[in-house]
Amino acid sequence: MIRIRFHGRGGHGMKTAGRIAGTAAFLEGYYAQDFPVYGAERRGAPITAYTRISKDRILERGIFSEPDIVIIADESLINDPAANPLQGVTKKTITIINTMVNDIKDKFSILGIVNTIDATGLCLEIIGKGSAVSAALGGAACRIIGIIQKDNLINAVIKELKNINLPEELIEKNVEVAEKCYEILSPIIIQHGEDIPDSPIETITLPYQYPTMSSPSVFSSGNIIEKKTGGWRIFKPVINLEKCNKCWICFVYCPEGVISLDESEYPHIDYDHCKGCLICYEECPVKVITVEREIETW
Amino acid sequence: MQSDHTAYKRIKDISRDEFILPGTTVCAGCGGLEALRLAHKVLGNNVVFVNAAGCFTLLALFPYSPFKGSWLYTNMASAPAGAQGIRDALDILIEKKRLRPEEDLKVIVLAGDGSTYDMALSATSGAIYRNLDFYYFCYDNEAYGNTGMQMSSASPLGAKTTTSIPDEQSPMGTKFHKKDIFEIWRAHKPPYIATISPRHPVDLSEKFRRSMQFKGPKLFIALSPCPTGWLYDPSHSAKIARLAVETGIWALKEAVFGETIHTYIPSKLKPVEEYLSVQGRFSHLFVPVRQDETIKKIQDEINYYWNHTEIQK
Repeated sequence: MIRIRFHGRGGHGMKTAGRIAGTAAFLEGYYAQDFPVYGAERRGAPITAYTRISKDRILERGIFSEPDIVIIADESLINDPAANPLQGVTKKTITIINTMVNDIKDKFSILGIVNTIDATGLCLEIIGKGSAVSAALGGAACRIIGIIQKDNLINAVIKELKNINLPEELIEKNVEVAEKCYEILSPIIIQHGEDIPDSPIETITLPYQYPTMSSPSVFSSGNIIEKKTGGWRIFKPVINLEKCNKCWICFVYCPEGVISLDESEYPHIDYDHCKGCLICYEECPVKVITVEREIETW
Repeated sequence: MQSDHTAYKRIKDISRDEFILPGTTVCAGCGGLEALRLAHKVLGNNVVFVNAAGCFTLLALFPYSPFKGSWLYTNMASAPAGAQGIRDALDILIEKKRLRPEEDLKVIVLAGDGSTYDMALSATSGAIYRNLDFYYFCYDNEAYGNTGMQMSSASPLGAKTTTSIPDEQSPMGTKFHKKDIFEIWRAHKPPYIATISPRHPVDLSEKFRRSMQFKGPKLFIALSPCPTGWLYDPSHSAKIARLAVETGIWALKEAVFGETIHTYIPSKLKPVEEYLSVQGRFSHLFVPVRQDETIKKIQDEINYYWNHTEIQK
């Protein structure tokens, strides 16, 4: 059995990527199982999707913590404890990361084989938008496991994207993206992890806790600033302060409040938290805000 | 209880202080967060939010909080009841001299349209009836956004939601009309109700400032453009909020003890098509077949409103 785990943010289309891999395997004649896990639905919040592919019937259920393949749609998730994409990664795991950074394996000391692919870049180039990378990473998954023919991948992409009511021309472009990813990568022989030995069940005793334990309370105000949301960006806005006329528009319209004004009223962007919605870029009346593709690892 | 803020006349009157810190997991380009951020600047730091389940539940995500003030979470139907409890507790503490009057908090219900228009309506009506001294901030993104954009009774005619997908039987998508929550509240004759838009920050700030002089229920309905559910690029949030006002689909108004005043009247209404055509949730009205009848119906409703309502400025 091959176990593939997809990590992304809401909006990346990781649920669809998992479905593409599952459907392609099914069309190829395998048994397949796929499902996503996420809390409250939110664009940008971490989500995980799981796909199991097997020659035999799949009796295993639920999430798995020891995947053969991990696919990460957003490198900023690597250090996020809420996502924890490297959980269960061993020397035998294959990790595919959507990134433009080359030395990412060393940077995060990831075990096993690490491949990178600039899926966002491909999507920007072919579709014109880089937010959803479902077809790209679904295609990458299908190629890596080496058992899926290209035409079955294409059929799976079409089937799954039709399911979510994408218009015809957008599906065609997504097929192109999936094909490109299929061609860029090459299959890797999967070394399965060791079987997990059955361990005797231990009795857990719970110590006495104060009743307040059951109702979570936050006593520190404004501590969300610890959470960096800068990694959500594909493009970052850059203000040319030399031409800025200090009109306050970007500061007022920023939903997150990440643009602050200094003493002489010039705006400054807090890149640790800017999600890259680009309202400031659209609304700037004198057009002194430009956008740059984000390439730094977060 | 006179407010100590001066009137808001221009964009530079808006406070530079931030009361909601960044790092939240709400979607990039959230129109509701923009409205709340601006509102909070006027309301100041002495507030306690009573948050009904919805998108803004995840503003405060344990163990993190973006607020400098306090926050309480309730289920979808009982935020006004929660507000009553907190208000009573504060009043008792002040009366018993265990809380100094200057330490008093403004009690603010934070709820989405699902809670405001549907589930909590009965609890809200009760709270207004009891003349509860509270603010009600509704971020109206015209669907149950947090659970994946299901139709709510705030979803407008012709919108596509995940539970009103256009099909052969009803090609227009949502076939019901948006509930007029402004008029439902107005019928109770509370001291202050207003509609606001994040693209009109001065109007928004001024309305909050004005409302602070009244004791009793105060409602704010913020039209909250939602890139995720309305299917447009996040960078267009402000543009879409502006079009909603300029096409007349979102009238900026307030009502003091039931007397309605329009705070902004577009000199000439833009055709509603300009607003509809830039959002994916209305795309089925244009392709593959243009549904002229539905577009006309939406336009007629707007025209009817502006021609038949007594517009006072």
